[in-house]
Amino acid sequence: MEPIGIFILAMLCQVYSCAANVSDSVEQMSYASVAGEEYLQGDAVEVGLDDKVYFDFDKASLDAEDKMLLEQYLPFIKKAKVVRLEGHCDERGTREYNLALGERRALEVRDFLIVKGIKGKKIRVVSFGEEKPIKNSSNEMSWAENRRVEISLY
Amino acid sequence: MKRFFLILILIISNNIFSILEIEIIKGSDNLSKIAFVPFAVNEGLELSQGENLAKLIESNMLLFGEFENLDKAEMLAFPSLEEDFFYRDWKIQGVDFSVIGKINSVNILGNLNISYTLFNINRRIKVLEGEIIGSENNIDGIAKIISNRIYEKITGLKGIFDTKLAYVINSDSDTYQMCISDIDGKNERILFTSKSPIMSPDWSPDRKKIAYVSFENGIAEIFIQDLKTGERDSIQALGMTNSAPVWSPNGKSLALVVSFSGNPDIFLYSIASKSLSRLTNHYAIDTEPSWSPDSKKIIFTSDRSGSPQLYEINTSSKRQKRLTRDGTYNARGRYFPDGKSIFFVHGNNGNFQIATKKLSSRFIQTLTSTSLDESPTISPNGNVIIYATKKGSKGYLGGITLNGKSRFSLPVKNGSVREPAWSPLVNK
Amino acid sequence: MNKIITSFHTLLLLIIFFSLIFSIFSMPKLKVSKNESIKINFYEMSELSKPSRKIVSNKKVTSIKKNKDSKDSKDSKDSKDSYTNSNNLSDLLNNSFLKKDIKNEISKIRLTKERKNIIKFSSIIQNKISSIWIKPNSLSETLSAKVLIRLAPSGEILDFELEEPSSNKSFNESILTAMSKIFFFEEIAGADRKVFETNFRNFKLVFKSSGEIR
Repeated sequence: MEPIGIFILAMLCQVYSCAANVSDSVEQMSYASVAGEEYLQGDAVEVGLDDKVYFDFDKASLDAEDKMLLEQYLPFIKKAKVVRLEGHCDERGTREYNLALGERRALEVRDFLIVKGIKGKKIRVVSFGEEKPIKNSSNEMSWAENRRVEISLY
Repeated sequence: MKRFFLILILIISNNIFSILEIEIIKGSDNLSKIAFVPFAVNEGLELSQGENLAKLIESNMLLFGEFENLDKAEMLAFPSLEEDFFYRDWKIQGVDFSVIGKINSVNILGNLNISYTLFNINRRIKVLEGEIIGSENNIDGIAKIISNRIYEKITGLKGIFDTKLAYVINSDSDTYQMCISDIDGKNERILFTSKSPIMSPDWSPDRKKIAYVSFENGIAEIFIQDLKTGERDSIQALGMTNSAPVWSPNGKSLALVVSFSGNPDIFLYSIASKSLSRLTNHYAIDTEPSWSPDSKKIIFTSDRSGSPQLYEINTSSKRQKRLTRDGTYNARGRYFPDGKSIFFVHGNNGNFQIATKKLSSRFIQTLTSTSLDESPTISPNGNVIIYATKKGSKGYLGGITLNGKSRFSLPVKNGSVREPAWSPLVNK
Repeated sequence: MNKIITSFHTLLLLIIFFSLIFSIFSMPKLKVSKNESIKINFYEMSELSKPSRKIVSNKKVTSIKKNKDSKDSKDSKDSKDSYTNSNNLSDLLNNSFLKKDIKNEISKIRLTKERKNIIKFSSIIQNKISSIWIKPNSLSETLSAKVLIRLAPSGEILDFELEEPSSNKSFNESILTAMSKIFFFEEIAGADRKVFETNFRNFKLVFKSSGEIR
């Protein structure tokens, strides 16, 4: 590439990071911009496995059962272009805190996948907090079902 | 000798000077009773117009359950002028205040001149007298102005009947709507409809814009929508998750939450320069910011202690302070308009309820008694809290006055209502 | 000589007069407040039956004693705090009263019949006013206002005056409204003449708001 081109590219990057006023370069690496969500236009890949991992109230840690399920997923994930991890919570507690908690849950799954050799680049993490419950009733059963991370492959 | 007697008498009578003092701390649980007498009308107007205006004022005043009314059928007289008004007619009905008035038509264009008077029956005095000119078509607005003045006179608090409420409706067909309406639920307007969730509405201090979170593009993204033009602007905060926007009291910046790589922290976003500056930096979840009325501090939720608790941070010195210690769940704090107390969601034995706490004391006072209460919002006069709660699988809005005397629920909507946000007063 | 005696007399009179004035102003006052009035009986009982536990129980009587003004205001402050957190009321009462050293005060208390009568009539008045006073929604302010009342022996209110208004207008209004709803304290008619003359002919109501939320 022409040196001028590289220079312009570098300048653009500079302007970009200035606008965000973020000094932490690690943080910038893994952001998912709105433009990066185009894969959503395509259909998700069906793999015939349970696509949900469940959690305890106000917790984001994976148990042995969850890890086993994720192990089964690995070969499919390796083939897929994008893995989308959607974190969810039950309706208890506040909405914005749950949004953050859902993200924690999805990240827990992502970290596990990275440890197992999946490239962080193709993992997309999003949290819906308590906004998209599977069950709408207010009891232990529904809550347990709603506290989940959904895995979808594209 | 005579003098000595005099002194002796004085000393004895001294006893009389020690006056008994009796403390009164508890007040009555009764509500003040108000009679809203149908307004009289002059020639050329319908009688029902006068009746309608009194009804509108009445329903405003009764909105938060703070007063009782005297039924029209029980009224002994229908005076419209001070000289026809007799206190005893109302005293025997146990009425505390009476409102009378008259509508005069000014011209054929439908302009009205409305006079109104408020009497304190117990004290036998006229406490308020006023006149207002307005259009026939805006009788709702006129009623709100009169209600505000009456309310201010009786309670000493700012009238809030012309404030608005923003909220999110999740209708049955899985669509999400960002709505605003008058505080009584009338004049609902849908600002935005989406197939994806909408969250966290917050009014700009000038009441012209609303900031909220929308998932329309697959991730949590903050938008600012202009109420007049309907224009929507996305804040390019660049994070993986952008959430919980709240306007600063001067309207120049937003406090919001950005999670770049899964670590949500509080940031300040300047609207003019579109720049972010970091406020908190902790590996725990920091979210749900809200400004103190003097804009010197921001309250937020953090789980750095292992469970969600409330903290406050000084925006200039960045000094942080933990505010709640009792219980395992205290979140989404907001300051009272006087800045001396906070209200928040308090988790207690699996129930989530609205609670208050004075900043100077450690005690938490629970206000509500249902189990899934959230998103409390306070009236600009600091007297009423509206919050979201759930009955069956449907969300609705409940309310409570801070003196604890009244609980109410807002009219049921078509769909699940959540995340109420009370607008500021008009001319702030 | 006569002149000297006269001026000496005058001087003496002046001294006595000033000491009298002083004594009037530093006169101890009796206060009855809602929370403590119940505790009196408890005190009486415990004092009679368990003299060893006097110190614990006597703390609760502080504000019905004829004590100095400053002490009184302290007490009422404590009772205010405890009122705010009704859940912890008893705990708080115990703690806060325990903290005070009022050992010496015990001896001053004489539970005479007259005192019992005063307390009885005071709590009647207290309940009556409490049932008609509609407190305004004043939120975080701590307010206090004094009303001076003049009674006839029949219990009729001859007149009342908001002697020391609070800084909050609607708080004052609410008091005046409550006061204009009531004309009689009938029960006072049954009071002993002396009790009436010394205590209820003129008395004060101290309206308080601790600035509690709810």
